[in-house]
This record gives sequence, structure tokens and C-alpha cells, in this order.
Amino acid sequence: MKNFLFFILALFFSVSAAYAADTRIWGEMIIPNILAYGTAENYNLGPLFVLLQSQYLRLVFAVAVIAVPAIFATHYFIVGPKVFIHDGNKIYIFSVFQRIIHLLAAVAFLLLVPTGLMIIFGRYLGGGTLVEFARHIHGFATIVFLVSVIPMFLFWFVEMLPTTYDIKWVFILGGYLSKQKKEIPAGKFNAGQKMWFWMCTLGGFVMIATGIFMYLQDFDYGIATALGVSQIDLLRISVIAHNILAVMITAFFFTHVYMSLFAIKGAIHSIITGYKEEDEVKHLHSMYYKKLLASGKK
Amino acid sequence: MSEQARMKFFCDTNRCIECFGCSVACAEAHELPVSISRRKVITMNKGVEGKEVSTSIACMHCTDAPCAQVCPVKCFYIREDGIVLHDKNKCIGCGYCLYACPFGAPQFPRDGAFGTKGAMDKCTMCAGGPEETNSAAERHLYGQNRIAEGKVPICAAMCATNALLVGDAEEVSAIYRQRVTSRGKGGA
Amino acid sequence: MAGVANTWGYGAMTNHFGDVVGNSKAIFVIGANSAAANPIGMKHFLQAKDRNNAKLIVIDPVFTRTAAKADHYLRIRTGTDVAFIYGLLHIIFKNGWEDKEFINDRVYGMDEIRKEAEHWTPEETENVTGIPAAQIIQVATLMAKTKPATVVWALGITQHSTGTSNTRILPILQLVLGNMGKKGGGCNIIRGHDNVQGSTDMCNLADSLPGYYGLAEGSWKYFAKAWGVDYEWLQKRFFAPEWMNKKGFSLSKWWQGVLQEEKTYSSSPVRALWVQGNGITSLAQQAKIKEALDKLDLLVIAEPFLNEAAVITERKDNVYILPVATQFETEGSVTATNRSAQWRSKVVDPLYESKTDHDVMFEFAKKFGFYEEYTRAMKMEVKDGVLTETKKDFNWPDDASRELARTLKTIGLGGWTPERLRAHQENWHMFDPITLEGYGPMKGQYYGLPWPSWDENHPGSPILYDAETAVNEGGMGFRNRFGLEHEGVSQLAADAVTVKGSKIKGGYPEITKDNIEKILGITLTAKEKELIGANWKVDISGIIQEKCRAAGVAPYGNARARTIVWEFPDPVPKHREPIHSPRPDLVEKYPTYADQTDNFRVDVKFISEQTAQEWAKDFPTMLVTMRVVNLSGAGMLERTSKYLSHLTPEMFANIHPDLALKYGLRDGDMMWLHAPQGTKIKVKAVHDFSVTPDRIALPYNFAGVMQGVDLSANYPDGTKPYTIGESSNTIINYGYDIITQIPEFNAGLCRIEKA
Repeated sequence: MKNFLFFILALFFSVSAAYAADTRIWGEMIIPNILAYGTAENYNLGPLFVLLQSQYLRLVFAVAVIAVPAIFATHYFIVGPKVFIHDGNKIYIFSVFQRIIHLLAAVAFLLLVPTGLMIIFGRYLGGGTLVEFARHIHGFATIVFLVSVIPMFLFWFVEMLPTTYDIKWVFILGGYLSKQKKEIPAGKFNAGQKMWFWMCTLGGFVMIATGIFMYLQDFDYGIATALGVSQIDLLRISVIAHNILAVMITAFFFTHVYMSLFAIKGAIHSIITGYKEEDEVKHLHSMYYKKLLASGKK
Repeated sequence: MSEQARMKFFCDTNRCIECFGCSVACAEAHELPVSISRRKVITMNKGVEGKEVSTSIACMHCTDAPCAQVCPVKCFYIREDGIVLHDKNKCIGCGYCLYACPFGAPQFPRDGAFGTKGAMDKCTMCAGGPEETNSAAERHLYGQNRIAEGKVPICAAMCATNALLVGDAEEVSAIYRQRVTSRGKGGA
Repeated sequence: MAGVANTWGYGAMTNHFGDVVGNSKAIFVIGANSAAANPIGMKHFLQAKDRNNAKLIVIDPVFTRTAAKADHYLRIRTGTDVAFIYGLLHIIFKNGWEDKEFINDRVYGMDEIRKEAEHWTPEETENVTGIPAAQIIQVATLMAKTKPATVVWALGITQHSTGTSNTRILPILQLVLGNMGKKGGGCNIIRGHDNVQGSTDMCNLADSLPGYYGLAEGSWKYFAKAWGVDYEWLQKRFFAPEWMNKKGFSLSKWWQGVLQEEKTYSSSPVRALWVQGNGITSLAQQAKIKEALDKLDLLVIAEPFLNEAAVITERKDNVYILPVATQFETEGSVTATNRSAQWRSKVVDPLYESKTDHDVMFEFAKKFGFYEEYTRAMKMEVKDGVLTETKKDFNWPDDASRELARTLKTIGLGGWTPERLRAHQENWHMFDPITLEGYGPMKGQYYGLPWPSWDENHPGSPILYDAETAVNEGGMGFRNRFGLEHEGVSQLAADAVTVKGSKIKGGYPEITKDNIEKILGITLTAKEKELIGANWKVDISGIIQEKCRAAGVAPYGNARARTIVWEFPDPVPKHREPIHSPRPDLVEKYPTYADQTDNFRVDVKFISEQTAQEWAKDFPTMLVTMRVVNLSGAGMLERTSKYLSHLTPEMFANIHPDLALKYGLRDGDMMWLHAPQGTKIKVKAVHDFSVTPDRIALPYNFAGVMQGVDLSANYPDGTKPYTIGESSNTIINYGYDIITQIPEFNAGLCRIEKA
């Protein structure tokens, strides 16, 4: 992992060396690239990107950023938030390190998502300096995200592994459609959180990698060769993957924010103080609560 | 609707000898950084008898230009004569146009800190940009505006072998058609 | 060009590029890479292909960009051009495809060629040249059956120890095929740079006077008269009278005059060198040149761009670099490769402290006290048949042009008045690019008045030796330059060859004072007899030209082209292996010349160098030099352009992957190339299929690195170009043409070593 980190950092600092090569897009490959454009051989990546970008991308993002909050608003007013006893016992679940890392990730997301949206909807902002600045922030925030996502992945991934009762959780949608206060089958993290976690880490790594590819453009670290595609197609794959994942991550990000801030009253405190209400754990993370009881830690 | 001329480039590979004249003339005329070549001269299968082909490539000023379709900030505009131009003050240097372009035309000067990409640069068919025609600002951002002066783009004007043709698509294809038909004649 | 001049009179391109487009049905390009060296010339070949379906045949040791456009490409071994042409002639003669009428009427000595050609069967030609016999037969057939066909060559032909034989055998091919003096035919000899034709016409040579007047007393006396100075005064400018008629050192071996390692014939070693307008770094034996530069007492370099001669030398004192203006800062005429003049206007005044070339020379003349004599001719004109000083001051460049026009009769510059040349420049649009004919006000003139343009009313001669056109419209026969008879055979054209519109039937000799009345059938007045010069070349009065014009006669005669040059070591061109040949078996069979004494004041090794050891054993790879399109000559001008430098950012060698990998050289690896004379250069190996595994190709346009040593520190502040590199000339093998002493740039050997 340390090597990977080093590799990523080396990527950033070898930018100048990498672009000096100037051969893999604008050099002699230009002719094969032209001939390959729009052929089945490279999965029509060029035209596919044009189609997605010009016809669907803004529409899908618009749906994501309008519809998702709208659904949650509806949920908030119809079903309402879950409220738990806040003066009862608290359970210590997040260490200081975990909280700092999470804070970094939160900062990264708060920078990445809006700036990403600014790029997608740049035309309504008139382009130019403002959107270009957003693009630079987007790149800078990637470094913050990279620094946070790696430890996060390491210290949570065991607890994030799916279990059988996660299926049940999914079937009842975590009980969020019900006003009743029932015990919901979930470990330390419920299936929703797990989905978010994997989306955020594995998806995040893909986002970082594809973002770096697009940032460097003309580089040669053997990646395109290893994948058996041309450099320009690697970039096309990157941009398509980046944007599709971006929609999903944005939707999940909104969900995560809604859950922590609104859907469960006071849930946000656990990631600030490290303590969760026992009542909340008992109901929303019943399996974890039972495990705690069994192990005598509670 | 009147029949509008659609300006197009065409490189006759039977004529192109890889002299780099177009590329160097372009760089000189527009005072480009060395890392940017708006026009590239490429030879494939170098030295292989019967297979070596040279050609000159730049922005082809596509009808329905894909770059214009994908630009998130809509910095492209297409003139009535079909020349595809862009506004560098709107461009954010994201690179989407490059991914969309079949010809690898858009390039990005690395002039920012840490080698960040600046505004995209590409062939303007010597027609400048949205700034006031032949103004200092236009010249600084896009180079010469020869079209406004009634001149042929510098690359085609300097092409030693008349391989690189530019003009109304109809006329360009007429010239090429004439070359092709007269080849294979005149033997007697 | 000595070979061409000795065949039919003039050493120059006989036709022109427009003519190729308009009329040629086959274009035979040998030893020329026009796509890189002359893209504008290349356009005309491609146009001919497009418009006439002309067949392009390219013969070159390397598959060049020109070859890529060819209908037939023949890969020849370097230095075997004579053998190859004889191979073609063998087939042509065997099938009776030669133009018998043309040979009978206009050529002398063809039987000797026929005899030599008998030896060159397709099999032997293949053995020597490396070109498959089938291809030789195919191209011979094509050339014989396709008329008119033009032959094009450049420095790939001349830069050999057998260069003069090469430049004779190609004209002979055209004589055999009857392609001379015809539209779409001829020998289109492409000059290497802008105004090379002009510079040789004006005598940037060590073995003649301006206009190719020989180094003889008669010529000197003519020039003394033309310049308005005493012959004795001119003679006194020399160390001793006998040096006046001896050739100087050549550009190729001047350094022997300094080092005197080989025997030199001079009154003193060369002690000072003045370089103006010449890339010393584009000459062979760079290591020796460096030694010579180091040893000189004084080195002056007068150039618009820094001449790297100042950089390869280690000397710190007595080097002067004078800034000289470019062509854009002065006015005057240059001569294009097709003998056309082009007037050039001044765009800006000389920048900063730079001076024009002629101003530098005037200052020089003033300092040495002969300014008055130096400029006198510009104040003179011919009045009533006598050259008289008519004004106090001269007007540059007009009066210089008038002096040239009036003086250089040999090549017929009589029509090149500044007024006419300016009018041509100003009226480009009135000329047809294919025929060069003028329209409207320019009607009756050819663009640039290609010489000979005998007098002020002459239209110029776009196609040399065209007997179907009247002399006064640009026609002529071959020049009568080599006497009236040889071994009892008349050198004049047969009776059948009457130049159109000529008063005289058949051939006639060059016109002299003694024969003019008889030949032209006229009687001169006593006054005319008094004024007339001894012959047409030295007739300042212009009477001979005047009478010739009236009779439709070319003053230089109407003679035969000759295939035997009895003054040369090889009266009939013979294949001789390069000095450093990869084929020891053929060296034995076709050895080079005996060693030469005193050519251009220095001895030259031939056979002793060729047989000093079996070179091919230690130096197995053939060395070919080539030009890259973005650099010309020594490259010192182009390498100061960042865009041009960017195309070839460093010195390299094209090498076939099979050969490269034999030495463990990956694409981009550095390698040492060793030459037989013990020099070496370090260059990048670039894998390329344009060369075969038996040869490598190097550009010759770099300097600034010498045998692995970077000379950056030697550049004066701010003069270092964007790119510097090893010069291929450091490892060009020893070898010089037996007549012209041009170095053997295009045949040699080397050894590869991974660096």
C-alpha cells in the first residue's frame, strides 16, 4: 500500500517528465487513432463518449442532483426522521484516527462533488476562470481524498464485508419507510453504509486513477499497453467511467448526508465525538448490539 | 437558404512528401510554443517500400464537430463558413474535446504550476477567435487571422507540393477529382 | 559539372522544372532526394505524375521520401552509378533502341561507349550495383520506350571519387536516347542550394575566372580590359607571374595548404583564412579542418549567422567574426538552378552593425589600396564599340549587373540588364509557369532570361541545345568547345542539324574574328575589323554577337556532343570502385585511379589509399550521407530556428533494426561510428527501414560536437543554436574526385560500436 501511495505521488511529481514524451496521442499514433475512431474494434469509444456527453450526462446528473434530494425531502415530511434517546448510554465506536480520516474525506467530498458538478454544468456558469478554478480545486481535492480513502479502506473493510442479514436489510430498505421503531438487522455498519463504503473506496480508487489519467493525458507508464488499448482510448474509457461513477457516487453522497444529518436525528455526533447512542445502536445495528452484549463489552 | 461554402482541409497523400513546411509555417505564423503543433506531419511505415505514406493532420473543421458537442462550457462556435473555432477565455482545459476528436487536434499547453493544462489550442484555419478581428488580443490568443485578410491559411499557402488543399469542400474535391482522373491518362 | 561541360559545352541544368511538368513522360532521378533537398522541385515531378501520368524512377542507396513517390525504386550500392548506366546502355544497344539519327548527327565517339557497354551485362551490373537484373532490364526498357524522358540528379552523383565520370555517363545516356535539346528531356541537374548556379557562374571556384573563362593569359588579358586595368598590374598582384595561371587550393583540401601533410605546390603555406558565405563545417575531414584552423595565423569569418568554423577551433586569438547582412538587406540578382536570373529587392537596411557582402569587400579593397581598380568597371560602358569610363561614380547594384552582362559572354549574360531583370521580378504574373513564356508586355521573353541570353533583345534559352528553335528565340546546337576535329573526325554537327532559322546549313564552328566573314558570308567594314575582338568570348565591341543575331547563328557554334574526353584520365567513363569499397573482390577488378600529383596544388591519394588495407574487413558498413528537410548545408542557419530544430532535436543515424540489434543497439541507443582515417563520432541510432542492413545513413547538417566532445563552451555568448551535434563530415572517408576534387561524401565505410 505504501508502494501504491508512493506510486501515486510519483505520478503527480513526474508530470513534467511524462508530458515531455508527447508521442502517444499527438505523435505517430495519430493515424492509427484516426483510423480506429468509431470502429467496433475499440467499442466505438469516441462516438460513445460524444453520445453520452452530449445527450445524457447533464440530464442524468440533473436527475441525480434534483430527484435524490427531492425524494429525501418527501421522505422527511411523510415518514419523518428516526429519533433516539439522546440522554441514555453512549457506545464508543469511532477512534480519533478514524474520525480525523473521515473528516478529511468529508472535506474532500465537499470540494469534489460541487466542483465536479460545476464542471458538468459549466456552460450555465459561463465557463472561463470560475469553472477552470473549480477544475483546479477538483484536482487538489483529489489529493485530500486519496490521503483519506486509503486508511479508511484499511480500517473498515473487514467490517464492511457483506453478511447474510444485509439481504434482509435491503428487502426492508433499512426500515426507513416505516415510522415504527423496530430492530433492524445490521452489524456495525448496515447494508446501506456498506454499499456507500464500497462505492466510495473501490469506486474512489477508479475515480482517482481515471482522474489522474485525464490530468496527465499524454503519459507512458505502460497502462494503456497493459490494457491493450491506445492512449486516447484509455482516456476515453477513463472519462466515461469517471462520469458514470460520478453520478452514482453523487447520489450515494447525498444519501449519506441525508442519513447522517436528517434521517436519524443527531447521528452526525457519532463521527464527531466517537460515541453513538445505545438506543440507536440497539435498533439500527441490532446484530452489532447483540454481539457487543454477548462479548460482554456492554 | 443560400448555399454556404463549407471550408475544408484535404491532404493529398500522393503529393505529401513530409517536408514539414505546413507545420513549421503554422508554428512561425502563430508564434506557437514549441510543444504545440497545430498541424502535424506524419509518415507511416517509414522506409517500407510500397507502404510509406505521409500526410498532414490538423483540425478538420468537422460538420457537427464532436468537440463542440461535448464541451462542458460550450466554448466552441462554428462560423457560417464551417470553420470551427473556440473561445479560450471560456475554455477550462478539461480535455473532453480531445477525447471526442477523431483527429487528435486539440492540444493543451502545460503552462500552469505543476504542469497544469491551460486553455486548449488547435488549428483555427487561420481565422482567429471571438475577439475583435485582427486585434492584439486575438493575435495573442489565436495567432494570425489571415481569413479576415482574404488570405489562404498559411499551411496550404506554403505547401511546397500543393498536397494540402483548403477551401470550399466542393472546390477541394473538384481539384482532387481532376488529379485522380488525369492520373492514368496521358500515356500515349 | 566538369563532366557535363566537357560533354556538350555548359555544365548546367539543360531544361527546367516547368518543362518536366509540361512534357516529361518519364523522370529518371538518380542521386537526388528532391523531397528533402528541394521540395519545390519535387512538386514538379509529382505534378508531372498527376498531369501526364509520367513515370517516376528513383535510384538511390536509401529509400528516400522521393523514392516513396516513385513508380520504380532501384536500390543501388553507393559509388556504382557508372556501372548501372552502362547496364542500361548494354540493354539499349543490344536491342537497337538507341536514337541512331541523333547519335549520327550530333554526337562524337559513341562507338567507344558501345564497346564499354558490351561488358556490362545485366548479371555483371547486378553483381556490382546490387540492383536485380530484372529491374535493370525493366527500367532500361521503360527509358527506351518512353519519350521524352528527363534525367535528374544532384549531389548524390557528383560527390564521388568518380564524380566526373558520373556526370558524363548520365549525359551520355540522354544522348543515346536522343532526349537532348528536347522538351521534356534533357539533364535536369538540381543545384544543392539557392544561387549555387549563380555562385559558380560568378566564379566561386579555384580553377577559373568568372563565366568559366579559363586560367590562361588570354582570359586574364580580356578581364584586364573589361575591368579597365593593366594586365601587368593584375599580374603583380600575384607572388610570381606563373601563379596567375595555376589553380588555387580547392574548398575540399585547402587545409592541406595549412598542414602540408600531403605534398603541396604553393609559394607558402596558407596562413590566413577568410570565410564568407561558406559552411566550412559542411566539408569532409572535419578533424583535419580543425587542426588547420588551429594552426592558421588569422581566421576571419564574415557571415550573417555564426559559422561553426569558429567553434570547432580551439584557438582563442586572431579569430574575427564579422556580421554580414542577409539577402533581405541587399539587392541584386541570383541565378536559379535552371539558369534563370531572379532579381531580389532589399526588404530592410542591414541590421545593427552588419554590412552587406559587397560593402565588406569594398572596405577590404580600400584598406589594401585597390578600391579604384576594383570598382572601375562599374563606371564604364561600351560606346561605339569601345569600353570607356563614362561616369564618376557607380550605382549599386545596377552597374555591377551591367558589368556582368557586358563581360560574361561565355555563358551569354548579354541580355541580363538590371532593367530587364527588375521587369521580370515585377511581372511574375505575366509568365507561364510551365513554358516560362511571357504574356502581354512580357511577350517574347522567358522568365528570368535563362542563359544564354545573348543580347538585350534575346528572350533567354529555356532549353539548351534545342536545334528545333531559332537561336534568336532561345534555340541552339551543342557548343563548339573542343576543337574542330579529333583524330580526323569533324566535331561539328552533321549537315542534317540546321538550327531553325539559321542562315548556315548544318554545323558550324564558334565564331572568331578570323572566320566570321567566311562562316556568315559577310564582309566587315574597316572600322568593324578594328574594333572586333579575337573571338566571340572576348569581343567587347559586341560586333560578333550583332552579326550572329542577324544570321540566326549562335556565336559558340553548332557542334557535336562528345562521349570521349581525351584530356581526362578516363577518356571514356569507367566504373571504378569507391576508394573505400565494401567489395574487395571488385576493387581488384575495377581499381580506382593512380595517385594524382598536383591537382588544386596538392597531391591526392587514390590507389594507394584504396589498397592500403582491406578496409571492408575492419569497416564493414557502408556510410551514406543524406539531407534532412529542415536543415540545409551545415545547418548553422536553420538550427537557430526553434521550430526547425524541434523536428530533429539531435544528430542521429538511420540504421536497419537487423544491423542495429547485431550490435545490441535498441532504437534510440547511442553508438560510436569509426572511420578508416581514425576519427569517430557518437550519434543516436534510429531504427529505420529506409536503409538495408549493409549501410547506415547520416544527416550532414550538424556541428558543435566533435568526436564526442561537446563544444558548447566555444560559442560566443548568445550564438549557440537550439541544437548542436556531431558532424557526419568528421567520419567522411578520404577520397576526392579526380577532376573537381569534390570529397567522396557519398561512398565510404565505417565501423559501428555500441556506446
